[in-house]
Amino acid sequence: MAEKFHVLVIGGGSTGAALVHDLALRGLRVTLVERGELTSGTAGRHHGLLHSGGRYAVQDQESARECIEENMILRRIAPDSFEENDGLFVAITDEDVAYRGAFVRGCAECGIPTREFSAAQTLRMEPYLNPLVKLAVQVPDATLDCWRLPMRFFATAKHNGADIRPYTEVVDILKRDRTVIGVRVKSHVNGQVYDIGADLVVNATGVWAEKISEMAGVRVPVRPSPGVMVAVRGRWCNMVINRLAPPGDGDIVVPQRALSVIGTTEWYTDDPDRLGLPEDHVQKMFEKCGEMLPVVRTAPLRAAWSAARPLIGDETVAGGRELSRTFKCYDHKERDGVEGIVTISGGKGTTMRGMAELTANVVCQKLGVHAPCRTRETVLLPYGAYYQ
Amino acid sequence: MSDNGRPGPKRPVTFKVFRYKPGDTDPPRYDEFKVDVDPRMTVLDALEDIRTSQDATLLYRHSCHHASCGTCAMKANGREILSCVTNVLELGTDTVVVEPLGVLPLVADLTVDMTSFADHFEPAGMTLLRKSEFNPKAERPASVQDYARYENCIECGACISACPITNTDPQFMGPADLAALYRALVKGDDLPEKLYALADCEHGAWRCHTAMECTAACPSDVDPGGLLMALRRRVTGYKIKRLFGLKV
Amino acid sequence: MTGIPIQHEPLGRRALRAWFDPRGRGVGLIGFAFNRISGLALFVYLFLHLMVLSTLTMGTGAWESFLQLARSPFFIVLDASLMAAVIYHGLNGVRATLVGLGLLTSKHKAMFWVVIVASALLWAYAVYLMLFVF
Repeated sequence: MAEKFHVLVIGGGSTGAALVHDLALRGLRVTLVERGELTSGTAGRHHGLLHSGGRYAVQDQESARECIEENMILRRIAPDSFEENDGLFVAITDEDVAYRGAFVRGCAECGIPTREFSAAQTLRMEPYLNPLVKLAVQVPDATLDCWRLPMRFFATAKHNGADIRPYTEVVDILKRDRTVIGVRVKSHVNGQVYDIGADLVVNATGVWAEKISEMAGVRVPVRPSPGVMVAVRGRWCNMVINRLAPPGDGDIVVPQRALSVIGTTEWYTDDPDRLGLPEDHVQKMFEKCGEMLPVVRTAPLRAAWSAARPLIGDETVAGGRELSRTFKCYDHKERDGVEGIVTISGGKGTTMRGMAELTANVVCQKLGVHAPCRTRETVLLPYGAYYQ
Repeated sequence: MSDNGRPGPKRPVTFKVFRYKPGDTDPPRYDEFKVDVDPRMTVLDALEDIRTSQDATLLYRHSCHHASCGTCAMKANGREILSCVTNVLELGTDTVVVEPLGVLPLVADLTVDMTSFADHFEPAGMTLLRKSEFNPKAERPASVQDYARYENCIECGACISACPITNTDPQFMGPADLAALYRALVKGDDLPEKLYALADCEHGAWRCHTAMECTAACPSDVDPGGLLMALRRRVTGYKIKRLFGLKV
Repeated sequence: MTGIPIQHEPLGRRALRAWFDPRGRGVGLIGFAFNRISGLALFVYLFLHLMVLSTLTMGTGAWESFLQLARSPFFIVLDASLMAAVIYHGLNGVRATLVGLGLLTSKHKAMFWVVIVASALLWAYAVYLMLFVF
């Protein structure tokens, strides 16, 4: 019965990937369109941190709980996909040390296991750390591959019948009265323009959500918030290194293969296609991350780029890192009186599966389909299976 | 990319980009785009600039922007590169010719179809993770037995494109796959007989003619050529042992 | 830049381009390409050589007229080229064998230049012998 409904997902990022996987498992017919390569938006180019939630354990506990739960689920459903080396929150200054109490308490409240190490122990584990490090708290961070992890979801969905169409850009959303009935797309492979009908359209375009929502005549409260990241040559730590402090600029170093990814900063933009690369932000990365790992200040630069977080926020709300990193699914029938379209927004890479579950629940409820979510237990196919 | 150089004045660079849309822009042609390039810009940055300001139909692959995913491999001025870490001004030419990888089937513009690559790569045992060799003597927390890290190979296809043999023998496994085969044998998880059979077949490790362009093209220090030779020695040792009935 | 999608080139053109076009390639390909060219030349030479030797069966007259031909400047040039091909093919062959067995593989570029220099010196000596001694 579920297969008589056709769901169209716009956006081939990590959310879209987990969503088509979830919907396909529930027996729905699903098509996904993505204008570029899969994960070529924000999903491909974040640090690649499998979040323990530590960073949010004090100020954004909703998000922290989501992170640790999804962290554990992803390890189960995508085995052998992560550098499971854990992470450290390191205290360099007395201020950092003072933050320790709140941090450890916050983690405990959110279900994030921690363990503390003295300065000497910490330096024995990670000898390239600033020798002035005072203590460290271990959390279950890990490194994920930003391209290959979502591809596992795409591979599994494809093998379960989902129709994945990269290089296909939505140019218009088709409506009949106040109901969305499909999309008009342009293929960037052969230039053809054609229509795809659907019973329900899901806007999973992350920071481009407003661009799509405008086509449908609905509103979504997304504030693209870019940040700069830098990759330097050399693997200078095995564990993810975080700053034991409230979220701020330059507070993380993620080892990625033979590189170290240092980041990040934040500002706001209305144009997710032209993020730019502010030079002072690049320099700040070397400076701030260098406070934790001095060696990165002089390590050769491999890449510097910007990526935009999709923050949920109304125009009335100011402040960047104060905005929650949680996620929400908006039913536009309720918000804007337009049937046939929902938007999933917010979130973090780590919470991709949880975001998909929430959205798929809304989709099924709207279509009157009774199918439980099975993505918590279903082990994903290897990413190479996408090409077979 | 050069070291932490500060940006300076922008310079105009002309990009001659290979365009191909089957049934539409067919036969292919080269389009010219002028971009004001600042000293930090990479080829990928320039392509993004062209796509968002001049031609929204330009199709190319990209994902991680820091040489970890391998999706942005293409050719600039005839050489295989990862566009996300190739600085435009460091190429040293006023005109940059941008083309897709060779050998792999074309989808459109600068985008190639990785299916045939994966077809060869998968049976070779896709080893994604291995033990980290960084700081082997460092103390570990109790929760971590061995630190892991992703393999260097990001499956970008640059070596496949550069190899003179893959260009003319479509069945040749290719440097990426044979290097992966070697890593799989060393790791020892998979059935070795199956892997040795693949390495030893007509289009396996013996088909290479030691041009070593694969190692030259690799952006990730994989040294596929070197691994291929190591594979040859390993296969030879295996066959000799088998011949004399010794344990392999 | 001829307008044919690279991947759809006819096989013959692809081979010529992939094997012999040095643009974007390094000394590894140059070494490989020279080996192919010299190998082909030696192969052709083998047949010519056998054809020439077969003149011996046709009596001293035929052989003598060949030797006259062999002294002509045109032939000296051909012979010199042949020597270059033999010397290069032999020395690079040693290099390819070493690299192909995984010995000194990482030094293959340096070895190419050693081959070039050694080939040049040996060839100069061979030409000297050809012109002034024999």
